[in-house]
Formats: sequence, structure tokens, C-alpha cells
Amino acid sequence: MLAAHDAEFILVGGVAAVLQGAPISTFDLDVVHSRSTTSLDRLLAALETLEARYRDPAGRRRAPDKALLASDGHHLLMTRAGPLDVLGTIGQGSSYEDLLAHTIPMETDPGVRVRVLDLETLIETKQAAGRDKDLAVLAVLRRTLEERKKR
Amino acid sequence: MKIENDPSPPTHSEDGVDLTLLRWFLTLTPAERLQVLQDHIASVLSMRGDETSD
Repeated sequence: MLAAHDAEFILVGGVAAVLQGAPISTFDLDVVHSRSTTSLDRLLAALETLEARYRDPAGRRRAPDKALLASDGHHLLMTRAGPLDVLGTIGQGSSYEDLLAHTIPMETDPGVRVRVLDLETLIETKQAAGRDKDLAVLAVLRRTLEERKKR
Repeated sequence: MKIENDPSPPTHSEDGVDLTLLRWFLTLTPAERLQVLQDHIASVLSMRGDETSD
């Protein structure tokens, strides 16, 4: 849906790892989005179509807006397609523009090409984050990288 | 007498990663990997739904 609206984003997190061959499971989709004015308009249109709302522990229903999405924060959303984390930056403040050189284009569906954060950078990002949930998958990501290099 | 090493590759890495699973997953295309993930999520959600409906 994001790609269909021509929003600029980079797929990161577990799904990015799966696309590159890491046999892990994840229930949400993580993207780092471009915060350019044009792309924010497209992203917002996609999120409206997806009926996105913040995952609010208090149960309030709040939709993302352009001003919020322009921040470098993390927007943890629920959509009719499932959980979607829209991230202004990751790691040590890396933005869409910072990460762009570390992405690879991949076809996720026929005719649908997305930019995916490469495995090396994904590993670096998870190391830098240092959270238990990030560290837990590092061994699989490192082995995946090793096996890919052998091929 | 020379003892031959087992020629079959290890099934797990030293840090416990299942290499058989990993190597199989790498034979798939990105779209196929995504499909496996989606099927897995659907299965888990289905099982969870079955549990909560009891």
C-alpha cells in the first residue's frame, strides 16, 4: 500500500531480515520514512487508506497526521493490514536519507519493488540499539550474512 | 590409523542457529520468504484464535 502511493520508505527490522533470508518471525512491519513534504503527503494518504491509528495503551483512537510524521520519532500504528511501525530515525539517529546508500531494491510482489535495509546495516543497527529483543536475533542475522557470502 | 571426520556439514552453528533451516530459507526467492512468514503469522493467529474461542 505504501509503495502503491509512491511514499518513500526503507523496509527495516524483521521483515527486511526475512526478505534477505533470515528464518525469523515477526508480527509487525517496520519502515523508516522520508520526511520530505511530498513523501509525507503520500505516506499520509496510504495510512488513511489503511485506517492507521496509534497503538495506544489507553485505548484512545488517534490517527497520525503530517506534523507528527514529520518528527524523528517512532510511530507505532495499527492498520487494517496489521501493525506498522513508521520510524523517523533508527539506531543513532539515522534517517531515511542517511540509510539510503545502505539499501537494496527487492521485489516483494510481482511489480512491487521496495528498498530494503541491507543485512550488514541491519546488524549494525540492532547492535547499536542493544535491546534484548534486538540482541536475540543477532546470531541468526550474522549466520545469514555468512551463508549469503558463501553463495 | 587415520580417523575420518564426519563429512556431513553441521546442522547447527556454534551459537545454536539451525543451519538446515537457514540454508533452506536462502534457496527461496524474497517473495517466497515473505509468503512463508505470512503463512506462519496466519497459522499462529489461527491457533491463538482457537485457544481464545474455548
